[in-house]
Amino acid sequence: MPPKIETRFGRIRVERRVGYGRLYSISMTLLSLALAFLVVALILTSLGLDPIKAFQVIFGVFTKPSLLLESIKQSIPICLAALGLGIAFKMNFWNIGAEGQIYMGMIASTGIVLLHEYYGFFYEWMVMPLMFLTSFLLGGAWCLIPGALKARLGVNEILPTLMLNYVAILIVDFLVHGPWRDPKGYGFPLSIPFPEYAKLNIVLGDPAYTGLLLSILGAAAAFFLLEYTRPGFEIKVVGQSPAVARYAGIHVRSTILLGSFLAGGLAGIGGLSIVSGIIGRLRPGASPGYGYTAIIVAALAGLNPWVIVAVSIFFGGLITAGGALQMSMGIPKAAAQMIQAVIFLMILVGEFIKRYKVTIERPRVDEE
Amino acid sequence: MEKLVELRGIVKRFPGVVANDRVDFELRRGEVHALLGENGAGKTTLMNILYGLYKPDEGEIYVRGRRVELKSPRDAISLGIGMVHQNFRLVESHTVLENIILGLGEDKLRIDFEKHRRRIMELAERYGWRIDPMVRIWQLSAGEKQQVELLKILYRGAEILILDEPTSVLTVQETRRLFEALRRMAREGKGIIFITHKLNEVMEVSDRVTVMRKGRVVITKETRETTKAELANYMIGRPIVFGQKKVSAKLGSIVLKVIDLKVLGDRGYPAINGVSLEVRRGEILGIAGVSGNGQVELAEAIAGLRRPLAGRILLNGVDVTGMDAGKMIELGVAYIPPEGNKLGIVPGFRVVDNLFLKAYRYPPYSNNLLLNWGKMLEKAQELIEEFGIVTPSALSRTSSLSGGNIQRLILARELSGIVGGIPRLIVAAYPTKGLDIGATEFVHDLLLRYKEMGSGIIFISEDLEELLLLSDKIAVISGGRIRGVLAREEADAEKIGLLMSEAVIQAG
Ligand SMILES: Nc1ncnc2c1ncn2[C@@H]1O[C@H](COP(=O)(O)OP(=O)(O)OP(=O)(O)O)[C@@H](O)[C@H]1O
Ligand SMILES: [Mg+2]
Repeated sequence: MPPKIETRFGRIRVERRVGYGRLYSISMTLLSLALAFLVVALILTSLGLDPIKAFQVIFGVFTKPSLLLESIKQSIPICLAALGLGIAFKMNFWNIGAEGQIYMGMIASTGIVLLHEYYGFFYEWMVMPLMFLTSFLLGGAWCLIPGALKARLGVNEILPTLMLNYVAILIVDFLVHGPWRDPKGYGFPLSIPFPEYAKLNIVLGDPAYTGLLLSILGAAAAFFLLEYTRPGFEIKVVGQSPAVARYAGIHVRSTILLGSFLAGGLAGIGGLSIVSGIIGRLRPGASPGYGYTAIIVAALAGLNPWVIVAVSIFFGGLITAGGALQMSMGIPKAAAQMIQAVIFLMILVGEFIKRYKVTIERPRVDEE
Repeated sequence: MEKLVELRGIVKRFPGVVANDRVDFELRRGEVHALLGENGAGKTTLMNILYGLYKPDEGEIYVRGRRVELKSPRDAISLGIGMVHQNFRLVESHTVLENIILGLGEDKLRIDFEKHRRRIMELAERYGWRIDPMVRIWQLSAGEKQQVELLKILYRGAEILILDEPTSVLTVQETRRLFEALRRMAREGKGIIFITHKLNEVMEVSDRVTVMRKGRVVITKETRETTKAELANYMIGRPIVFGQKKVSAKLGSIVLKVIDLKVLGDRGYPAINGVSLEVRRGEILGIAGVSGNGQVELAEAIAGLRRPLAGRILLNGVDVTGMDAGKMIELGVAYIPPEGNKLGIVPGFRVVDNLFLKAYRYPPYSNNLLLNWGKMLEKAQELIEEFGIVTPSALSRTSSLSGGNIQRLILARELSGIVGGIPRLIVAAYPTKGLDIGATEFVHDLLLRYKEMGSGIIFISEDLEELLLLSDKIAVISGGRIRGVLAREEADAEKIGLLMSEAVIQAG
């Protein structure tokens, strides 16, 4: 049933488009981008700023190597979380808790670093692998809670995944204000800075390259899982119809458990990439909503892992552009965020119009 | 007589197929016009074009003599065209009244429910239907749901009615009632297009008949000037043999033994209430009865999809009561579900995915973790050939296949033995529903072939003719109990009917 919205001018009708060409799709995207920039230009002019210069800064993000690297860096947590969401959404598991799972990944990574720094628990070379392992496990476990609720008790996942975000964020707050606070940090709620061996700079000494490799490996893993493995196939069948899955002899419950665990795990690694690649320590609000952006990314990318990588970098670029605008043109933070939001919104609207047809019908007057 | 609809030179291409190839078609006022043709002949496509769902690549549409362009079903509806689709499109949790009004597109705030309720009741009475507009859709039987669909389009004043295989979900009695209503509508001056695969129905209810084959119209004729045999010939391009085909397989050991089984239905009360039966190797046990009397629950319990409340199920002498579907598949139980396009396949998946919906996890197609698509595609190609599935390729989306081809796909998956060889037990629930005569014959032959190879078969159907044709024994089910088991020699329509009605008398 297409949704209908009644207004006094007539009825607005939203219908899914059946199949459209590639050319149409690309030109719609370009059109919405153009519109976005038009609106941004208006905002900037009204602020008394030069829109041309601002656009140079925004496009510079994708042409200046240093800013491009920054964009890629910003894209890593988004990408990893979105890859996980891609799996969850394929399973029809509406995980909106990637943010919380990211936070749990950060807790796990930081925990390992602190264990080693404070107590010398491991050999130095073990720290990084352990960070990966535990952030995957903890992120996965965080998503497994709503997964188990759904599999065992049939509880819809949307509320549990959302609410666990706040829990995870508060746990981080508690840790950095309390037991994990840096003793030399003048009382600021920060963990100690990560030592070199715990930083994500394995490839060319730069977290961006390392992260890009991580994103690509993640995408390859997600793609391989969904296309070439038994659990991946089962995840897709369950997502299409649990009844058919049961008929096919698939264990629906264990599939949901596995799928939600993997989704959370990938977001957990996204958390690792923040503390060990972007910030270098744990602090409150370490993720400014990467987990939510990831939802948009996964949806825009049509859940395709490779497209997710590309779309994530684009969104990483937008975040970077916001920072660059503030720095180079003195645009206030709020305005920079507004510009980001406008571009976001236009793309979303463009995609919506691409996929759905919106028509307004005049009200019929011929009442008998 | 006035032409309500005229289609001229309609062409519709889909990737890899020409679904309609220069089709001419005409509907007159006051006639029931049967549209006949094999699965995939292009009937639904043609009607979807008339209903504004597809745009034709070529051709012209005239409604009441005026050339029209249909951009969407809305345009068709405003021209008085209404369609009842192959599968119902009602909102299950809403009432009959709400569903009918929903289709009207009236301003929601000013609906006079009482007025509508009264008018709907009147309309229903006119066609001899007893429907309470305040009942929710999920509480209705298939036949009643269809009446609601018809009411929905009649209520908004349609006089060109398209019914896509309306009888495939109906019981014999419901079909009779539908036909009376259709005749009445024709007398009132409406025009009705009626798609079916059953030649008997064409002869019984239609004034004219158009036969399609591979996207083209073969012929349009007055029904009384033709015969079943001639129509069949037009349809599949060769004469078809009606009547007995016997395969004598020697009966072997007992494959399935069901002892005093009780199974809960979806609504929470027992749908199977103490059923015992036995199937031997090489035997076809027919289950006769009006649908909705526990057949599906019985089949699902045997297939491991429904846990019995009480009783036992023995497979080759081993107790398998309460085992899950995965286990039963491994033990060689094939299950052809009713309404295959709902439970039997994932429409969005490719043909190969659906063919391997069960076998994907077993060697040689998988080593329990990785999938071997090479092997699967290769085998899929074979199965497509062997079972005559018409599809552009193994990688096409299953939802683009016609109903009959989807059923062939399900049969290929269940019977070809890609999971653990020839099935030991085949539970076939309404396997020929919605199939054309060619495909029906194919299914019958297939079941007989597996009987010969020693599978035990439970064959659930509502069609007495085919039950008598295939079964070695016929068990009559009613109200969740077996009311009697007849050997083929002693069974006939009358005796079976009697057993069903005895049950009704007992129950009443
Ligand atoms: N949306 C679609 N996309 C691609 N191919 C399609 C689509 N719809 C129908 N086809 C193809 O067009 C042909 C005609 O299909 P159609 O559904 O009209 O047959 P039909 O006569 O209604 O068959 P049935 O009796 O099985 O319902 C088939 O080969 C089918 O695979
Ligand atoms: Mg059809």
